[in-house]
Amino acid sequence: MLRENYHAVIIGAGIAGIRSALDLAETGSDVLLIDRAAHPGGLLSRLDAQFPTDGCGMCKMLPLLERDSAEATCLRKGFFHERIDFLPATELSHLEGGPGRFAVRLKQTLQGVDPQLCIGCGACETVCPVDMPDDFNSGLSRSKAIHRVVPHAVVGAYVIDAAACTRCGACVPICPTGAIDLAFDRRKEFSILVVDDELSVRDSLKEWLLNEGFMNVQTAESGAEALTLLEQSDVKLLLIDVKMPGMDGVDLLKQAKADHPDRVAVMMTAYATVDTAVEAMKSGALDYLIKPFDPQAMLAMVNRVFQATVSVQERQVTAGAVILAGGMTLFDPGEGVNPYGYGTHPHVITSLAFERVLSGCGPSQGRLVRPADGKPLQRIAWLQCVGSRDCQISADFCSRICCMISLKEAVLAKNKSNDAVETTIFYTDMRTFGKSFEPYRRQAEEERGVNLVRARVHSVTASPESGDPLLRYAGLDGRMHEAEVDLVVLAAGFRPSPETEALAELTQAERNAWGFFQPQPFAAACSSAEGIYLAGACTEPVEINAALIQASAAALEAGRTLRRSGSQLALAEGPAAKGVAPDAPPRILAAICTCHGCLSETRNTEKLISGLTRDPAVVQVLFVDQLCGADGWGPLEAAIKDVAPNRLLVAACHPLRHSTHRRALSRRTGLPENLMTIVDMKIEPTEPQADTTARSLRTALGEHVLSASLQMGVAFLKHTDPTAPEREQVQRKALVIGGGTAGMHAALAIADMGYGVDLVEKENRLGGNLAWLHHTLEGHAVKPLLDQLDDRVIQHPKITLHLEHEVVNAVGRVGDFRTTVQNAQGRTEILRHGVTILATGGLEAETTAYGYGTHRAIVTQQALERQIGSGEADAAAWDVVAMIQCVGSREPSRDYCSRVCCPTAIKHALYLKEKNPRVQIYILYRDVMMTGFSESYYTEARRAGVVFIPYRPQQLPGVETSPDGIVTLSVRDPIAEVDLKIEANLLVLATGVVPRLPAKLAAFYGATLDSGGFFQEADSKWRPVDGLREGVFACGLALAPQTITEAAAAGQAAAQRALRILCHESLSAGHPTAAVRHSLCVLCQRCIDACPYGARSVDLEQRRLVVDPAMCQGCGACAAVCLNGAAILNHHGAGQMLAMIDAAVE
Amino acid sequence: MQSFEPLIIAFVCNWCTYTAADLAGTSRLTYPSNVRLIRVMCTGMVDPQYIIKAFLEGADAVLVSGCHPGDCHYINGNFKARRRIRLLKEILPQFGFEADRLQLTWIGASDGIQFTQTMRELTERTRELGPVASRSQMVF
Repeated sequence: MLRENYHAVIIGAGIAGIRSALDLAETGSDVLLIDRAAHPGGLLSRLDAQFPTDGCGMCKMLPLLERDSAEATCLRKGFFHERIDFLPATELSHLEGGPGRFAVRLKQTLQGVDPQLCIGCGACETVCPVDMPDDFNSGLSRSKAIHRVVPHAVVGAYVIDAAACTRCGACVPICPTGAIDLAFDRRKEFSILVVDDELSVRDSLKEWLLNEGFMNVQTAESGAEALTLLEQSDVKLLLIDVKMPGMDGVDLLKQAKADHPDRVAVMMTAYATVDTAVEAMKSGALDYLIKPFDPQAMLAMVNRVFQATVSVQERQVTAGAVILAGGMTLFDPGEGVNPYGYGTHPHVITSLAFERVLSGCGPSQGRLVRPADGKPLQRIAWLQCVGSRDCQISADFCSRICCMISLKEAVLAKNKSNDAVETTIFYTDMRTFGKSFEPYRRQAEEERGVNLVRARVHSVTASPESGDPLLRYAGLDGRMHEAEVDLVVLAAGFRPSPETEALAELTQAERNAWGFFQPQPFAAACSSAEGIYLAGACTEPVEINAALIQASAAALEAGRTLRRSGSQLALAEGPAAKGVAPDAPPRILAAICTCHGCLSETRNTEKLISGLTRDPAVVQVLFVDQLCGADGWGPLEAAIKDVAPNRLLVAACHPLRHSTHRRALSRRTGLPENLMTIVDMKIEPTEPQADTTARSLRTALGEHVLSASLQMGVAFLKHTDPTAPEREQVQRKALVIGGGTAGMHAALAIADMGYGVDLVEKENRLGGNLAWLHHTLEGHAVKPLLDQLDDRVIQHPKITLHLEHEVVNAVGRVGDFRTTVQNAQGRTEILRHGVTILATGGLEAETTAYGYGTHRAIVTQQALERQIGSGEADAAAWDVVAMIQCVGSREPSRDYCSRVCCPTAIKHALYLKEKNPRVQIYILYRDVMMTGFSESYYTEARRAGVVFIPYRPQQLPGVETSPDGIVTLSVRDPIAEVDLKIEANLLVLATGVVPRLPAKLAAFYGATLDSGGFFQEADSKWRPVDGLREGVFACGLALAPQTITEAAAAGQAAAQRALRILCHESLSAGHPTAAVRHSLCVLCQRCIDACPYGARSVDLEQRRLVVDPAMCQGCGACAAVCLNGAAILNHHGAGQMLAMIDAAVE
Repeated sequence: MQSFEPLIIAFVCNWCTYTAADLAGTSRLTYPSNVRLIRVMCTGMVDPQYIIKAFLEGADAVLVSGCHPGDCHYINGNFKARRRIRLLKEILPQFGFEADRLQLTWIGASDGIQFTQTMRELTERTRELGPVASRSQMVF
């Protein structure tokens, strides 16, 4: 059952919402997660693979500690966590109060199918007459009006598309569980009043409505009569004529609304009085219809009103904080000019639709064929920047992720076709801004043969001969080219999701010029409204990595608010179930679902019983009806109390859907969840044509298979070790290494939550790179931020500052680290802490390229920023300033984009132009990486006259210096095809960022570095700030090239991830967890090498092998490599597996 | 001759292939009842002794199926399985089991159709291979 009071309500259950929800739940908050869609997962539920891994790893978001609190299964199927309630198809309707005391009103749209009753048999789908485009597959396949929202969802997710449903009623009787409700009874009762002075109108309206099933229709010929009728009956919907003798329609409306404001009214008007009808909408009318009207349009409107009345359920809850995580939506390329023929040319689709083409459950089951005609694909073209970077449609921003999405799609298409398909990407700038994106691009281009063509496509038409798409584009040479392909994929940009506007109004959170929520300066997760936080792509189109970092930061800010407002978090320690003695003989209760009576008809139950009870461990076999719904679990609970088994075997359809019931049962009976197992019965419906009553079902597999499944279940349970996992004490203190932006944010975040922090900084001051940064691209001064952070850190009672200290050694594991720090005088101190955050920062890369260091007119961007800060930069003295981007970056030796250099160059160019409008500025670049909303500054710079000249890494610009202070650059302009000479007073080099994370320091904590020397995350998408070794986190420039705001968010995200550990007094393992049989162990340490999480180590004092239960994730790799059977995986042990194999072959 | 119905044991990983099997189930796709699924947390935990045991006890084919390379929930368990299966394929023929009776596949969470196809193809192939010839000569 749903709770009424929550710590936080999260609006939007995409990956950012899920991340925030899990982060809060893992630190003890009760969370309500809502989404306007009927299924969680957002955009990601439609993507099978992500860049740059070309795979999926969404499940890696699941809790790593207290793993049993969530269901261990694919997150794309849906998710379950015991502290998170999820409400599908729900929107915020009202918000009141403030931080710590929000009153939240929600509106849930019922989907016509009761999820508790639906068993996902699909009988309804077979009889539904409506054939409509399948939304999930972007309209590339067909679906019925009653369908599953997401094909791979756990069953019970059938919904009815109310707009498409014809209410024929065919699905109602065929449903074996009576789960479908089309509200026919309420339709009959739904009271409608038609007010019109013309009899013909009244009569025809009444007749149409009666035919549609609305039986309760009254008519009135005047306003006065209508008012009398309104007094007598509870009218829900009024259809009012505007122009009537006596009291006119608008007056009637006002009076009808006066005492019943929730009454819905629709005005009927002739063309001449449309203005009056529009006026009436201000007085509360819902809409208007122009006479003579189309009966279908009128009925559609009445049906809409009816649906909204009957299918909307209101809820009211309280919450301490609200997180907005509504994400983004795809730009519709059919809007406006539509030069690429989207929607008119059959072979032009969006990138999201192409994701479905690639998917195993997509329209072509993953075969690489053209969606419209099934022709095998041989030539595919991607068109970048559709709906992005386009000032003509007021989209002067970059959607940031489309370049990588297209690269990924091209590579996946290559994979699917064994490199046979020809792939071309037409791009503006290839924005490979992330840490591992540049190597991905290089691999795609050089090894996989993806063609990258720098051009903006003018138009797509149909080839006169073949009808295939014909692209016309201007190449870099300035000439027009043509290309014919099989399929055009539009890399459509992104827009705020449709509910953003309404949410902004309800929450008072400000939005930016493009409709996305506007975060506060340097605080990406904070909105302009107090207690309302922002997660993921609702603030800017972002990739998974950034969305999750921001989501964790939002969870942190929400947690802070909760703490400030005095919320008590309900963190239950220890298992709720009472446990089973390890030496107790197994007593198994086997419960078999009879699946609406079909089992008794089709199976020899006697044989099943005797087969099971042959094993003395099975104490009773119970047949229960409808274990798929709540009805069956009641009798089961009674039986458990009666029989007192210590193991439970359940046979039912679709084991994955029973997690909630299983947990509730465990809570109520005390039987631990890990001692329950559910085997799949695989019941499926017969074809309805064969049996029109269609209530009978048959098993998909033979009887002997069910018997084998049950025996395998018994074998599994019988050999399960019931010992409750151990718990390890936690040192509830954090160590943060590095006192820059990220380190200070992390330290403050943890300290604000009441835990002690040791902050170690090598230098004699805090701030790191903030010390020399003057202002940001957006124009925010940096010094106030530094001063404020500096003050807060120094004054915080929970932070112990160790300036001029360095870490010289460290040992330990999550929950208990011991770090030795040393000061300049060589004095050492040992710090004990439960978590470690590496925030050691980064520096501007050194260079000797382009004559740097030989001439004082050649400087780096950092030097220019320092000069601007100190006032030394004399813009007026310069006539020409040249800048070279990507100096030493995005080359095999330093194979990543430093991300901050393009914004810095443009920031400085704009500054110099402002100080001296006559100064000529030339920026020599490879790809302008102005991602997201920073794109608008690139536009501004071009408008201000800054000249951008592309160069290729194969042909670097030449630099010559002369004693008179002039630096001469020679570069080839590829468009004009001429060699340019630029005589500049100043040459500024963007050398990029290098991390300052010594490998030795990382190794102390079991962390590793990536090829660029940055911290290697556990997973670059799904665990962006975690190390693979639990308890070690990184943020700031030690993690990846970042802006100040991104570093601050990463610091907070690292802190939030650390708080998951610190909030526990002791850490426990989940199920399954590895263990060691010491008597068999010969300390060969093969298991240590096999463990991906570093959970295994040798205890040198005791001379034995130990497993850290909090770090172990239960993969069982150790057990498979152990030669002696000393490494074991509890709850999936060799004994269980061998017994199951025995049962399977029986 | 009476048609031979092989028995196939499939070790499927919890995160990908088991999920695909569930998707096949919820999509009402059927696959031959010759296959018995054993859910394991990761293909990396499939000890060679499980596979050998399955063959010795009467399985006519064994399938190990997990996440696509790069998708493994446990980072690299599927690679560990790949190495192990490769070795087993070398060893099994020496015991009288054709290497073709052991198969390793990657079936992702959305690949319900691929799951049923794999099961059908494997059943068909094993049916063609016939019973394990050496089994009749084995002494237990």
